Amino acid sequence: MIARWVRRKLEEKLRVSRWGLRKLDERLRIASVVREAVAKVFPDHWSFMLGEIALYAFVSLLLTGTFLAFFFDPSSGERIYAGDYAGLHNSRVSAAYASAVELSFDVRGGLLVRQTHHWAALIFVAAIVTHMLRNFFTGAFRRPRELNWIIGVTLLVLAIANGFAGYSLPDDLLSGTGLRIANSIALSMPIVGTWAAFLLFGGEFPGESIIPRLYILHVLLLPGLIAALIGAHMGILIRQKHTHFAGPGRNDHNVVGSKMWPTYAFRSFALLSALFAVTFALGGLVQINPVWLWGPFDPGTASAPAQPDWFMGWLEGALRLYPPIEFTVFGYLVPAPFVPGVLLPGLTFAIMYVWPWLDRLITKDRAAHHLLDRPRHSPARMAVGVWALSFYGLLLLAGSDDVLADLMGLPVLTVMKTMRIVVIVVPFLFAAAAYALARALRANPEQRLSGLRWKQIRKSDVVEEETRHGGS
Amino acid sequence: MITARRRAERGAAAAFGLTAVAGVFIGVVYVMGGNTALLGIGLAVAFASLAVGLALWAQHLLPERAYVEEREPAPSPPRLREALAAELNRDDRPLAQAPLPRRMLMLALAVLAVVAVFPVRSLLFRVRDPARALAETPWRAGARVVDDTGRRLRPADIPPGGMVTVYPDGHVGAADAMAVLVRVDPALLALPAGREGWNVDGLVCYSKLCTHAGCPVGLFVQTTSQLACPCHQSAFDVLRGAVPVAGPAARPLPQLPLGVGADGLLVARGGFTAPVGAGYWRRK
Amino acid sequence: MRRPTPAVCLALAAFALTAVAGLAAANPAHDPVERGRQLYGASCAGCHGQSGEGFMTSPSLRGVGAASADFQLSTGRMPLSAPDARPHPREPAFDHQDIAALTAFVASLGGGPQVPAVGPGDPRKGRTLYLASCASCHSASGVGAALPGGGAAPSLLNTKPTQVAEAVRLGPGAMPAFDTKTLTEAEVNSIIAYIGTVRDEFRHGGAAIGGAGPVPEGLVAWVIGLGVLILVILFLGRRAS
Repeated sequence: MIARWVRRKLEEKLRVSRWGLRKLDERLRIASVVREAVAKVFPDHWSFMLGEIALYAFVSLLLTGTFLAFFFDPSSGERIYAGDYAGLHNSRVSAAYASAVELSFDVRGGLLVRQTHHWAALIFVAAIVTHMLRNFFTGAFRRPRELNWIIGVTLLVLAIANGFAGYSLPDDLLSGTGLRIANSIALSMPIVGTWAAFLLFGGEFPGESIIPRLYILHVLLLPGLIAALIGAHMGILIRQKHTHFAGPGRNDHNVVGSKMWPTYAFRSFALLSALFAVTFALGGLVQINPVWLWGPFDPGTASAPAQPDWFMGWLEGALRLYPPIEFTVFGYLVPAPFVPGVLLPGLTFAIMYVWPWLDRLITKDRAAHHLLDRPRHSPARMAVGVWALSFYGLLLLAGSDDVLADLMGLPVLTVMKTMRIVVIVVPFLFAAAAYALARALRANPEQRLSGLRWKQIRKSDVVEEETRHGGS
Repeated sequence: MITARRRAERGAAAAFGLTAVAGVFIGVVYVMGGNTALLGIGLAVAFASLAVGLALWAQHLLPERAYVEEREPAPSPPRLREALAAELNRDDRPLAQAPLPRRMLMLALAVLAVVAVFPVRSLLFRVRDPARALAETPWRAGARVVDDTGRRLRPADIPPGGMVTVYPDGHVGAADAMAVLVRVDPALLALPAGREGWNVDGLVCYSKLCTHAGCPVGLFVQTTSQLACPCHQSAFDVLRGAVPVAGPAARPLPQLPLGVGADGLLVARGGFTAPVGAGYWRRK
Repeated sequence: MRRPTPAVCLALAAFALTAVAGLAAANPAHDPVERGRQLYGASCAGCHGQSGEGFMTSPSLRGVGAASADFQLSTGRMPLSAPDARPHPREPAFDHQDIAALTAFVASLGGGPQVPAVGPGDPRKGRTLYLASCASCHSASGVGAALPGGGAAPSLLNTKPTQVAEAVRLGPGAMPAFDTKTLTEAEVNSIIAYIGTVRDEFRHGGAAIGGAGPVPEGLVAWVIGLGVLILVILFLGRRAS
């Protein structure tokens, strides 16, 4: 009975929207465009919704961020905090810190939104990375989608940058420490380093300029760029249509799946709701970045353990593990943070940008593809992906070496020295194993990873030789 | 078949009903002060039930069939390409017609593009020479040593194994001036040559900025007489002129020569031995 | 509803401590020093010697004073769990009364600082002092952290005010000592009041996942946040596969 009533009401609503469409069409002539849009076919595979998680996390970030912007005061100027938090009551602190604590104690619903915003940011970047891994391992970046891969890498860079800017805004002890390290990394660049750091911070660290500057980056410039690039990313996606996995009736000249309306729209709204549910649940129930506990930033103080958000953690790990090596060039100093702090991320993103072309060198495949590879299809690509995944994952782990040491009851320096070797050696072992497994799986297309036998791994090269000869 | 559909319909309707109830709950909690956890639970339940309802609808109430959309080949048909080329290369060829204005236009735009970068320099207006600003701190010979409340310190104020963060008098809180004053056993001190007289009864003073990434080396482990940085775990041996003994730091913490003034107060007898904090290109 | 202020909590705690000590002293049948001597003989003399003279690696207890004995015993650092173990905080092996007795006995060996008295303090002043002097080892959130050469600065969240005051003055283990010139009595009281504030607000905003900052947060975001959402898309994408 209730169901019928709901359906009737919904159908009424649909009639209303159809009326609206008619009026719009009379003025804008949109019938064919809208028809094409609602008839768009989405492949039915869960992994195609990873990017959508990132998209909806961005929606959540925009909504919660707008709320926060009404209360946050991005200024290093000092004022009296007069709110409910006893540890700060009537203290002179920066307006940025005071307003962040006000959001956490005094603004109704403020803490929920603040925490939800931060959780959504962590999930945003995590979803981008996962989405990117799916595209990497299935070869979705290949011709004709190189441009969308480049936009995607740029989105990742911008998301990380915006996450770091947001993390730095509240002017608490932890974020101030992060900014100090960012300043030192900027200083470490040859030739332009001192100028880069001084231009960014408006003088010697900490100065008064960095928080308002980061704020305008965080709420306008970077999200604007992200929104624009998401638009381009999806525009290209619609223009080129989705890729899909091989299957009966699926080939390079079609897309098989569900239509935008109604099936995919329902699914997509379900996912949007689920994302809101997860981020609000975390925001309401799990504490994140308790700035009142970290205290206001003061250049003379530091807290341990001190880590950045996870998406900067691999850089933190690299800074911790890099040995104390500094050298001079023509009498000028190249400080220790340069290699792990500038060169490593520079190379990382450079390789990500040119990957579609590197992949061509490896696979010798320049053709356009709309049908996805299975991950096993290219053992070399698999090896590179697993190497990168384990290398950056281990760096992330090394970024929390003091927390690990505390948990395991080991001296920090022991953990640090061990990790120096582990991050170099283990990724190659993993990559070699992944290469062998992918080859064995490719030789036995029916087999799943869990069902693979040792004999098949050992003999995969023989089988491959045979298939190659058989094929040629 | 019909019963499964029925069940899904009822499930979806119940889920949307729960969304509405949760919505009311959110309103009530908000009016009553907006408890963070309750608001979070309310919103989570509201959106979770919405998701469940929509998912049930999508999976059980909509026709289950796979649609096929044909993909037109990416390059446009040659006819269209030629038409476009013809449109762009019309017989009047606007750009080729007037080479001199075209070149001057290019030049003008290039100059403007270069000039557009200039405002970046405006970001820095307080400092003239970054490298010089980095090399200097407010420590001068004769500067009195004060703690972070501005209290002037005497040698007896720091107990054995004790540590205090200090600044030059009048510059409390100056980020580049902060230093640590620690007291170690004078018999164990093995400072680099030329610094023998720089301690006062085992009191030694070093810059508090880590030479790796500039974090404050606030951790003093008195059992090993090491100063450590909580950011990247570099450790410095206080007894041997704060040389790095572990972690990624490559240079010792700059030392401050200490002395006692005529009034019995601790003073600096000069600036730091080297520029403080993280390294940079023009660091001497 | 207002929570009792940290100052009130401290006053109550101080009152409770004095009451316990008072009870022990009021019983004439148990002279605390005498009782302490008995307990010492049974539990401590094996390492520290019959009259606290020390033996091998075990330090002499002559001159260490009441504060040190009370700190080591009430935080469970002493007696050691094994003869060659590092002292670490755990459940104390003795009850309040026995600790008071042992403390009185060790104090009777001569010298050393008394158990410090803790009064009400100003948490705001305490915040500045805590962040400047304590946070780099014990963490701003008070949960403690690993030390570079091994071992860890312990969590302060379950400590008693007197223990904090004792540690500040004594500098046990790797910790530097702070005397009354670097941190006055009022300043130590303020630090203790601030630790109370941190404890009160430690769970503000939900489950404090370890109080260790971004490391557990990142783990939760990946495992719970993205994990649940991946389960959702696994269900949503199930259909025509």
